[in-house]
Amino acid sequence: MKPEHENLSADQSLDIITQMIRQAQGNVKSNGFYFLLWGWVVAFANIGMFALIQLEYARPYVVWVITIPAWLLSMYYGYKHSQRERLVTHMDRITMWLWIGYGICIFTLVFFGRTINWNLNPVIILMTALPTFISGIVIRFKPLIIGGVSIWFFGVVCFLSDFEYQNLVGALAVITGYLIPGYVLKGKKD
Amino acid sequence: MFKELDPLLHSQLRLAVMSILISVESAEFTVLKEKTNSTAGNLSVQLDKLSEAGYITIDKSFKGKKPLTTCKVTNKGINAFEEYVNTLKEYIKK
Repeated sequence: MKPEHENLSADQSLDIITQMIRQAQGNVKSNGFYFLLWGWVVAFANIGMFALIQLEYARPYVVWVITIPAWLLSMYYGYKHSQRERLVTHMDRITMWLWIGYGICIFTLVFFGRTINWNLNPVIILMTALPTFISGIVIRFKPLIIGGVSIWFFGVVCFLSDFEYQNLVGALAVITGYLIPGYVLKGKKD
Repeated sequence: MFKELDPLLHSQLRLAVMSILISVESAEFTVLKEKTNSTAGNLSVQLDKLSEAGYITIDKSFKGKKPLTTCKVTNKGINAFEEYVNTLKEYIKK
């Protein structure tokens, strides 16, 4: 772009505006990292809990402690990544707060789990469908949109399932909703 | 009679920078430089002008040892930009 050129016509001005706005768009980040991390962690925890229930272990839910390092890793990665970001769009910010809000709601649910007799599985699955679906819309990525819908579907299935099988449904939900889109996203980038 | 176009925005590089910043949350100096295809010297002069007018904020920090300059549009900048576009519309309607 030339240094200074004050004799801009109205059309030239308009050209600059539309051209630059177009440049700024389409920069929404699509990062498969979180989907792969959480896909594996939650799938493992669900399958682990199912296995422990089958083995009649007294406290099958202990397997969920593996989410603690996953939370820490997510926060660390998020922090590191935000420092490297050169361009932050409005959609990036909305998506970030959508997931943070989701995380806060999940914490709240687990914290008060006892008051609803630990019937958390279908509720958590259903809640997960929303940010996944919206993220898919934001980054215009069909596998993630389908992933969000499939998580919602498994949420419904979970409501209809016996407690001991709910974890298997949960595992299927993250495999279709997180892992498959996560790997497609990763493949697209490389 | 037509309203006069804001001289601060009616310049190729400043208008380009404002158009980018209006569409994003924040952008780093190097991104603005790439997207507007400008030189560092000229860009920083124009950014200072926009910042002095209160149209943008410039945040200087460090990424490791590298200096990091992040720009954001202000509400005043958004209003000025909107007014500029509205005036531009009148010119085009003619």
